[in-house]
Amino acid sequence: MRMIRAAVLAWIPGALFVALSARADAPAWMHTAASMPLPTYDEKTKAVLLYSEDITTVLSDGKTKAIERRVYKILRPEGREYGEAYAYVGQDFRVGSMRAWCIPKQGKDYEVKDKEAIERSLSVSGGELVTDVRVRMLRIPAAEPGNVVGYEIEYQSRPYVLEDWWWIQREIPVKQARYTLQLPAGWEYKAAWINHSAADASATGSNQWSWVVNDLPAIREERRMPPFRGLAAQMIVSFLAPGSAQRSGFLTWNDMGKWQAGLASGRREPTPQVSQKVAELIKDQTTPQQKIAAIANFMQKDIRYVAIELGIGGWQPHSAADVFAHRYGDCKDKATLMSAMLKQVGIDSYYVVINTHRGAVGAETPPMMFLFNHVILAIRLPEQMHDYQALLNHPKLGMLLIFDPTDEKTPVGQLRGELQANNALLVTPDGGELTQMPQLPANSTGVSRSAKLTLDAQGTLRGEVNEIRRGDFATYERYAQLEVNSSKDLVKRIEQEISHSIGMFQITEAKMLNLNINDLPFGYTYTFAAPAYAKPLGSLLAVRPRVMGVLSSDLLESKEPRQHPVVFRGPEKDSDSFEIALPAGYEVDDLPPPVNADYSFASYHSKTEVNGSTLKYTRTFEVKELSVPVSKVEDLKKLYRVIAGDERNTAVLKPAVH
Amino acid sequence: MLTSRTGPLTRKAIDYSGESLYRATRYFTQVSCQTMGRDPSNSQPDAEHFPRRHPRCSPPKGFYARFLRFCNMEVIVYFRRPVLLVPMLLIGALLWLTQPIAAGDEWKPITPEELKMTSMPEAPGAAAVFLYREVNRNDMGIQRGRGATEYNYFRIKVLTEEGRKSANVEIPFLKMRTSVSGIRARTIHPDGTIANFDGKVYEQTVEKTQGVKYLAKTFTLPDVQVGSIIEYHYNIDFEDYYLFRSYWVVSAELFTKRAVFSLKPYDRYPWTVQWSWPAGLPKGTEPPKEGPDRIVRMASENIPAFVVEDHMPPRNELEFRVVFTYHDEVPEMNVEKYWKQFDKKKNGQVEAFTDKRRAMEEALASIVSPSDSPELKLQKIYTRVQQIQNLSYLPRKSAEERKHEDIKENKDVEELWKHQYGTGWDITWLFLALARAAGMEAYPCLVSGRSEYFFHKERVDGRELDANIVLVKLNGKDRYFDPGAAFTPFGLLPWMETGVDGLRLDKDGGTWIQTPLPVSDESKILRKADLKLTDEGDLEGKLTASFTGLEGLWRRIDERNQDDTERKKFLEDQVKESIPAGSEVELTKQPEWNSSESPLTAEFNIKVTGWASAAGRRSLLPAALFSANEKHLFEHANRVWPVYFRFAYKATDDVNIQLPPAWQVESVPKDEDKDLKGTEYSLKVERGNGGIHIQRMLRSDLFMVPKDNYPVLRAFFQFVKSEDGQQVVLQPAGATANK
Repeated sequence: MRMIRAAVLAWIPGALFVALSARADAPAWMHTAASMPLPTYDEKTKAVLLYSEDITTVLSDGKTKAIERRVYKILRPEGREYGEAYAYVGQDFRVGSMRAWCIPKQGKDYEVKDKEAIERSLSVSGGELVTDVRVRMLRIPAAEPGNVVGYEIEYQSRPYVLEDWWWIQREIPVKQARYTLQLPAGWEYKAAWINHSAADASATGSNQWSWVVNDLPAIREERRMPPFRGLAAQMIVSFLAPGSAQRSGFLTWNDMGKWQAGLASGRREPTPQVSQKVAELIKDQTTPQQKIAAIANFMQKDIRYVAIELGIGGWQPHSAADVFAHRYGDCKDKATLMSAMLKQVGIDSYYVVINTHRGAVGAETPPMMFLFNHVILAIRLPEQMHDYQALLNHPKLGMLLIFDPTDEKTPVGQLRGELQANNALLVTPDGGELTQMPQLPANSTGVSRSAKLTLDAQGTLRGEVNEIRRGDFATYERYAQLEVNSSKDLVKRIEQEISHSIGMFQITEAKMLNLNINDLPFGYTYTFAAPAYAKPLGSLLAVRPRVMGVLSSDLLESKEPRQHPVVFRGPEKDSDSFEIALPAGYEVDDLPPPVNADYSFASYHSKTEVNGSTLKYTRTFEVKELSVPVSKVEDLKKLYRVIAGDERNTAVLKPAVH
Repeated sequence: MLTSRTGPLTRKAIDYSGESLYRATRYFTQVSCQTMGRDPSNSQPDAEHFPRRHPRCSPPKGFYARFLRFCNMEVIVYFRRPVLLVPMLLIGALLWLTQPIAAGDEWKPITPEELKMTSMPEAPGAAAVFLYREVNRNDMGIQRGRGATEYNYFRIKVLTEEGRKSANVEIPFLKMRTSVSGIRARTIHPDGTIANFDGKVYEQTVEKTQGVKYLAKTFTLPDVQVGSIIEYHYNIDFEDYYLFRSYWVVSAELFTKRAVFSLKPYDRYPWTVQWSWPAGLPKGTEPPKEGPDRIVRMASENIPAFVVEDHMPPRNELEFRVVFTYHDEVPEMNVEKYWKQFDKKKNGQVEAFTDKRRAMEEALASIVSPSDSPELKLQKIYTRVQQIQNLSYLPRKSAEERKHEDIKENKDVEELWKHQYGTGWDITWLFLALARAAGMEAYPCLVSGRSEYFFHKERVDGRELDANIVLVKLNGKDRYFDPGAAFTPFGLLPWMETGVDGLRLDKDGGTWIQTPLPVSDESKILRKADLKLTDEGDLEGKLTASFTGLEGLWRRIDERNQDDTERKKFLEDQVKESIPAGSEVELTKQPEWNSSESPLTAEFNIKVTGWASAAGRRSLLPAALFSANEKHLFEHANRVWPVYFRFAYKATDDVNIQLPPAWQVESVPKDEDKDLKGTEYSLKVERGNGGIHIQRMLRSDLFMVPKDNYPVLRAFFQFVKSEDGQQVVLQPAGATANK
């Protein structure tokens, strides 16, 4: 390890010289990285990050300069994507220079510079209406298998918080990663490691330290894996200025909470207009619960989601007055206005800063401003009011109702699955703390179908289906229906659903329930006819009792061993009940067996019965734990296979013998 | 169609055709620009359990103002006369102040009906509708030493919560070529109160490359609620001295109650303008007419919202628009004369490129033997030219890379033969030259690919003939070849060049041709499987999948620049997707990827878990194993557009299943053969030798199915899906079958 470090240090000055003296050639640090012996990688490895170097220099005025260097060896055609170098440009961080090179297997090196870059606003893909963040891209020539590509970007920035984030592990193997920190005299740092044991820092100069990590495996993408940032090796460094004159990086969650609170300071003050609106909203409401519901309803229905984020505006909310006047805002704006309105009715509320990917922030994750991407609210409830499900019992603040005012379709008292059991920063009057959000009971979310159907002797199945969607299933379905732009297309969602299970069908009548009433479960009621649903088997008829609804999954049908846990969206409980009146002159000859599968993370139960001339199929599926560890993944695979088998199982009818 | 005189012109063309290079970076969520209020989701658990829309934090997409497209800003010509610059500017400025067409900063009156409206009967369920749209373009500004101007006016009624996203307005423009000015906007509430927009208009970089900067003026209207009317207007000012391409986009994402358009064309000599409406006009709309004031005008009412559907014809064939084309010489409006002139010009170019007889004869000697039959000679030539490195099918190379690799442009077929590399276009002409050198009667042809639009010679636009092929008279028959289209088998054309019109080039003014439409037998999928059913109900065994004709061609093109690992995954995924149950698939033999002629044949080991289902003492086996691809075809009863199939195909499955010794067949489904001529399905299940033999065939010779026939088509595919669910009944050996 020591020898490698020495070698790396030795060739940095040489690199600068070579870069200046022979501009078309790739710098020496790239050539050195390109000549490193590599282990044998498996056939799926598309590229290797041969060398990653980040040099961060903190200036005494709190500005930073950073150099980012990357060298990739492309091993397979899929690795061509590494022939594009990206830099981010914004109001408070700009790119000083950007250069990239290719060392082809044969012939001279290529070089591309700033002027050849393409720049594009992030709002085009990121979703904000207005943002000052832009991405600059350089296409590196000859990014072909066998060739080595690399780039160097110099950033200059004035960070809002004095800290840095070193991303070490990637979706491809990393041969060597290096991070160098240069602090002004008298400054100190605090480093925290995530998903990796702490590497020793070596002093490489006056108030300069370096960290080197070698040979990290790739984090391969798998379906329904935890968020990448919850798995990858990272180091978070806080820069600590001497004395208290300078702001410093966060040492505790409390520090971060205070920073968040400071950003919102004075922005939750109500204006007369806001107060007037609150009075209007609660005019007929008597209980705190009704008042919260009225204000939440206003936030969901009348305040549009529009994100205008410039500079610190990515973190700092607009004032409640502005949000109210414009009737639009992003998540933190909506949380701010709602908090101000609640205050008007004597209810305190607190920001909850969260990442919408559960697992991105672990219980041990150190504080850092870039960890989160969303803001919701914790509403302090009077002691006697515990009717909601999304409740958090806080030791000091008492019972807190967690609510997302940005989510226009999830009612008060519930919480989307991705936010449940998720670690978030609760910004309290004293500062802040990392808190786990509540996990709702499984029956808060799910789909329940019941159908009364009739089968005729020709095999046609017809009847009425009632489908009730709760929790996330209601939320997402409401959003989906919202996007439908023609009443003729309202039925398409049902058609799509049925076509997973039935080949030939016609919907004869359909209606939606509670599309715009979030407090009530969303539902469909429809009638359909499915000719040839039952298949003739000579004189027999084969009928699949599980008429519709697919709960099985081919997620784990692969010979590749699973690398990561399987993550469920949230707790869930589904149930189906189908009653099929049999055709006259037929009786049941064979029934599929009942299924009972119970695991710690999920369970599935189904049975098919005959009651007189009616075939009745019932089943339930419940997700109990939100993550299945790798050690239990084989059990989950078995469970999915059991469900798939049950979904295909068939009852056989025969002509009745009288 | 107006002409008058101006002085000599200089021309300047700008190519904006480069594809967007932007894509989201791999690690955006992890770098230092994440903020709160966003929802970057690079590492999100996969979407399988997220089939529904993610709740807000992601704002709405697709602002309707995007119908103003960058293409509208394509420069046609640049006028610059420095001597006249100052006086022209002065005169232009004076006229600018008085011009009527862009001075529309007054709001149009709003009716009580518009205020009260809660739905639009002509667009039931619409989230929002355009009550009014207006586009007035004045290209005559150029004549006054200024640029062209365009005035845009929109009035939108918000009918649902989703419709409120119309309040987010994005007006893209091309910096240095255009600017946007005079933005005025307001919100009108259902009670008639008006809130004028006094917020900030932001200018965002959409994309910036060397010398080209696309920007967008962005703003959002406050306090927009269901029932509100959103109204805004603005001017686009085009760069001085430039004449830009112009067209009216009539179809929009929202239903339009009324739209009016006008263009005051630049009509100074030698410039003339023509206009056309390639996809027709909305029902009841009078075509554009030029008035005595030389302004071309059109009004249209009740324009349906443009709907996107699976298997729809090219969008260009369906989207209503009016295209204006400027000409710097009097355009030839006589269709016959136009194409004769076109033929003469293009034929000359081809002849100049291919007329290297001696070099071609020398090349030919290394390809064919004198004793070969004409067909064999042609086949050998075809095979040989396809071995030339086809630059059109390699990853895109920059000019620097081409220079680095010493790749030069081929001036003629002799150079191409010498270099042994070339574009697909040039390789096809090399085939022509060699065929002629072999003594064959061969003609160059230009055809119009049908992937983007359908060709109409009456439009007299030679640019629409965008693909080249060769016609060879062989044994008295016209045969068409395009060896420059990589991996295309001898005797076939890529699908987009089939069934299309084209022009056979010759000295005599050319002849119109139509390329053949291959039948399903020419593009086949054959899956042959030998499988065993285990006691656990799993299917295990070997599968050989073979793809011929256009079925093999698209796969080869798709994977042409990939390696064996990616190709293995591609083929395994294809098999998995065709099986309607969880399966493990492993490729055991790679196909011949680089050939054009041999079928693309791959071998696999497959395991389908739990394929047999339980039914008490019986076990049931679905008859169709490779049926998942049809599962979601035409699942919706409602259809707006005709159904468009790219090419005919035939999929045949031949599956043998060996049963466990303890089981026997109780019954098999009855044979099915449903033949609608254009499409056919058959299923046959036989028992014997301790197992079952299943033959399934699905054939489609369909090309375009009119909307009125959609129910028949849907019923057919529903029948296919239903029949695929037929079951073979198994029972333990020795049990008595129920009759």
